[in-house]
Amino acid sequence: MPTPTLLQSIAITLIQCVLVVLFVFVVVPLTVFAERKVLGHIQQRLGSTRVASGHIGVTGWMNRGMWKWGRIPVLSYWRGIPGLVADVLKLILKEDIIPAKADKFVFFIAPAISMVSAVVVFAAISFVPGTFFIFPAWFPGLGGLPVSGGIADINVGLLWILGVASVGVYGIVLAGWASNSKYPLLGGLRSAAQMVSYEVPLAISLLAPVVLTGSLNFGEMAQRMATGTSAWGLVPQVFGFLIYLTCGFAETNRLPFDMPEAENELVAGFHTEYSGMKFGFFYLAEYINMTVVSALAAGFFLGGSWLLPFGLQGLVNQLLPADAWIAGPHAIFFVAKIIFLLFTYIWVRGTIPRYRYDQVMSVAWKYLIPLALVNLLLAAFVRCAV
Amino acid sequence: MEHFIETIGRNMFAIFGVMALGGAAVVVASRSAVHSVLAFLFAMLCIAGCFLALEAEFLGMAQILVYAGGIVVLFLFVVMLVEVTKAKEKEVFQLQSRYAIGAVLLGVAAFAAVFRKVIFGVASPQALKLPENLAQGLNVAQQNAQAVSRGLFAGYLLPFEILSVVLLVALVGAVVLAKTERV
Repeated sequence: MPTPTLLQSIAITLIQCVLVVLFVFVVVPLTVFAERKVLGHIQQRLGSTRVASGHIGVTGWMNRGMWKWGRIPVLSYWRGIPGLVADVLKLILKEDIIPAKADKFVFFIAPAISMVSAVVVFAAISFVPGTFFIFPAWFPGLGGLPVSGGIADINVGLLWILGVASVGVYGIVLAGWASNSKYPLLGGLRSAAQMVSYEVPLAISLLAPVVLTGSLNFGEMAQRMATGTSAWGLVPQVFGFLIYLTCGFAETNRLPFDMPEAENELVAGFHTEYSGMKFGFFYLAEYINMTVVSALAAGFFLGGSWLLPFGLQGLVNQLLPADAWIAGPHAIFFVAKIIFLLFTYIWVRGTIPRYRYDQVMSVAWKYLIPLALVNLLLAAFVRCAV
Repeated sequence: MEHFIETIGRNMFAIFGVMALGGAAVVVASRSAVHSVLAFLFAMLCIAGCFLALEAEFLGMAQILVYAGGIVVLFLFVVMLVEVTKAKEKEVFQLQSRYAIGAVLLGVAAFAAVFRKVIFGVASPQALKLPENLAQGLNVAQQNAQAVSRGLFAGYLLPFEILSVVLLVALVGAVVLAKTERV
């Protein structure tokens, strides 16, 4: 395999960046759609069906049939998908309003900070083990060159992810301040306190798998989980996983911890004054952050990012021949884990009511941080004992 | 083209350094406290870039995580609360442009004095080094985090622990000061 020159490697990195952005722009609308549908069914209604392709496609045909028989069309799971296009168009075309007394520059830059810090995290996450694909020989300039599954498989990947994700707080805080309005300011202050508090147990709970596997690198960690520590993927770390999930919910401002935008107290919290695509950036950033939290959980707690969870991989490798497709690491497992965790997000949102603000803070400082520390201590003992 | 990119890559440290200095200048010169904090954030991120350019990945990431992600957020938190007293803020924030020029000149001078080799000479930045007995079986240039942890927990454990006690003193002191009314 030829080694790329400097220019070629830069071009490959740019292509990877474009692929990541495409991935994001595919995953986010689908998550939004799934959220509407799943929430709808949790609350015993159909979810979004208004903008629907009711007259085309198989489901449209079946739905019309069911209406004709006088039944409510329960088959309408896919109805409402055109609504996604309508939603995106609405966000892009809506008038962009800047309040007269807002701080213009900060008001402009806050959604950008949110969005950038959410997307840049993906630099350290590798989607596919090893090589993603090889350019065909006819490709101009890049023929025969491999494209790896992650943009930068850096040594300190976990720290990169945590660090850049923590910069995302500024988007929300500055949005709240720049709007020059009461409720956004309250939302911004809340989010500053909440996100800084929950970062601590989040980082500590992520340290336990790091201690167990002994690496900060995303890919290397998955490898070590596959070879040495397969059974430690989730089972001994179940408390760590629960702590991590709780903190992840709080970090992404999702229910039951959506204090910065608690809509029955603060109108819409930090993004009350935002409209159009600026609001769209906050919206996108929230869903991208959910994906990132899920990807991290898949890599750190569900038994390595590209392997079967719960240490099943070791069992499969013993039972099946080595060339079975399920035997090796596979990107499908990674995507499946992410989808499951995104579903969990929606599930929890539909099940648990919002906490009060003081409860949110006391949960972090009085329970989660001590629990996470105990968990880390136990992990260190396990590491020393084995 | 290739040559140009390579030149940029070699001088990454100087580029980030100048950007960090620019951010620091805005911190002092800006009229709004929140803008100052934003510029401070920019400077902190650029300093992390400097560490990365020196191939000290762990330090760079810790810089982003601790300063950009933690400490500056608390700055912003306080500044947002203080912002309410507009008149006082104006008094404090309108006299500082000459201090700003002085501070920037001092910063540029210190920067040039420390890193004159990097800027004016051909010397490339030195890689991280550990004492021989600690660096055994470790590729220091590649395994940055491991090298730092060996230095901290094997070579210099006592100073490290003393430093953490000093930080604890600051923490306890802050709690005592904040709680005076209720005691």
